[in-house]
Amino acid sequence: MIRPASGVGLLVLIAAALAAPQVFSGSVAQNLAILSMLYAIVASNWDLTLGYAGIFNFAHVAFFGIGCYVAAISTLHFGVPVWWDLVLAVVVVALMSGITAVLALRLRGIYVALVTFALTQLCVALINSQKEIAGGPIGLVGVPDLSIGGFAFGNDQRWYFYSAELLLIASTVTMRWLATSDFGISLVALRDFEDYAVSRGIPPTRQRVLAIVASGVFTSLAGALYAHYLGVASPDVFSFSLSTLLLSMVLVGGAATTYGPIVAAIVLTLMAEKLAGIGNIRFMVIAALIVLTLRFLPGGAWSLVSPLRLRLAAHQAGPSESDQPSTGPHPR
Amino acid sequence: MSAIIVSGLVSGSLYALMASGLSLVWGALGVFNFAHGVLLMMAAYAAWWVSSSSGLGAGLAAGVVAAVVFSALAGALLYWVLVRPWLGKPDAELSVIMTTIAGAIFLENLVLEVFGGHYKELDQVVTGTVMLAGTTVQAQDLMAIFLAPALLGGVAALLTRSRTGLAVRAIAQNRDAARLLGINIERIYLVTFAVSAVLAGIAGITIAGLFSISPAMGNDPLLRAFVVVVFGGLGSLIGTIAGAYVIGMVEAVSSYYIGIYWTPVVLFLVLIAVLTVRPTGLMGRAP
Repeated sequence: MIRPASGVGLLVLIAAALAAPQVFSGSVAQNLAILSMLYAIVASNWDLTLGYAGIFNFAHVAFFGIGCYVAAISTLHFGVPVWWDLVLAVVVVALMSGITAVLALRLRGIYVALVTFALTQLCVALINSQKEIAGGPIGLVGVPDLSIGGFAFGNDQRWYFYSAELLLIASTVTMRWLATSDFGISLVALRDFEDYAVSRGIPPTRQRVLAIVASGVFTSLAGALYAHYLGVASPDVFSFSLSTLLLSMVLVGGAATTYGPIVAAIVLTLMAEKLAGIGNIRFMVIAALIVLTLRFLPGGAWSLVSPLRLRLAAHQAGPSESDQPSTGPHPR
Repeated sequence: MSAIIVSGLVSGSLYALMASGLSLVWGALGVFNFAHGVLLMMAAYAAWWVSSSSGLGAGLAAGVVAAVVFSALAGALLYWVLVRPWLGKPDAELSVIMTTIAGAIFLENLVLEVFGGHYKELDQVVTGTVMLAGTTVQAQDLMAIFLAPALLGGVAALLTRSRTGLAVRAIAQNRDAARLLGINIERIYLVTFAVSAVLAGIAGITIAGLFSISPAMGNDPLLRAFVVVVFGGLGSLIGTIAGAYVIGMVEAVSSYYIGIYWTPVVLFLVLIAVLTVRPTGLMGRAP
């Protein structure tokens, strides 16, 4: 199945992945790389629901945050061995996201955004109120390191680097596979021509619930890894500023492209770090970037890289569709 | 008991002011303004800056007037920059969610940069306390209870009596037909946004007198307004106002009997229960 070109690409990728921690040898650079890869996972998985499926799911950040807290609470309070808590995080988030999706998808459009937004804030309210178990506003500290055979990853940051890389690669391969599969195509069909898609036998709610649950898998793993790596779980993971940063990654990178949000995650994490000196003004810069992208480049930065995407994006966002529906990809 | 009712009425009044603005904009423009909480916050800062001795020191009356004028202008500007360019595009609904979220982040951080994170105090528009049914009530609370129905009644009267109000409703019902009848849609959109911002601004001035002013002060009221509009139904002014008072009461009762920490959970459960039965809210129309 693997074409020769992609086989070579895979080898180059593996070589690059192994070499990367040696190239970025400073601990500051490695830290930034690890964080940007984790954000890249969250953003590109959000792209599955927000971009491909067109669901206004604002609970995605909560999936990351819950993954983070499940890892912290289960290892600190219930003595769950490390690694197993990652499994637990995926299971809990899958259940949570499934229930959320079934409830929220009874609604349409803006109502989905409002309810999922409220759910995220509910998580913050619960964490702040449950001081004993969730640590309240301060968060939980002392989340144990990941370790293999007694070797703690915290002793050598490169191990977290490799873990994040592995997760990002697995996530990206999965997302690309989902996006190009019949499942992914049915999501896009439901987004663009729901009535026609339904008439061709695509079950809308089932596909969308599955999309939301699927988008939570790698996101919760990234959240759990985040907790182990930083050693803390704080309510900041649900914060409005992190949501906005992740949202900007999806939009500036290019919705429904998978690669766009990943590249944007890396660039924007570095940018946010470089701009740390100007304090809160960096959030203003990021906000302005979102508005400008939506105004002048609705397909996101990735649409510049891929001419095909540009044509598709122009087709979706341009006025031609509403003026002349006959030129659209209409069913025959 | 009467303390719970008063507290519920005060919250309900403030939520009604907030949420009706969201509902008006949704009805006329079909977009949702996530920067509505920031409009509330900026009005409070405008009132503080004009009235306080640390600012212009022009007194509270001038501060309130300035804040209302400022709100109208801010609402119009917000519409111009963050909403208008995307109206009529296929993805307008989602795009405007994003642009107004970005706008909210921008303005919240701008205010934080300009005024700093310290809490500010605004004088109450009316001071003192009143005995009411055996409970001591702040006069400002009482003002909120009477002000909100009066203002919203005024808005409702405008919607049914004035030409502009009728135009707003015509657009909400059928945009193209309204345009054909020669209604200047652009102007109506601008006015709707300005009115919605003024309602949020008045809520902001009232809240500023009851609590304190900070860059994040709009977030909680906005979130409650989300719950209210989903509960009552977007686009229906009556549904939204009724929803606001129900949510205010539920919150007051639950804070008293179940505890303040569990109130968000109770509110969310009420919301889910309503949506399971009526997915467009109590009186909402399908989007």
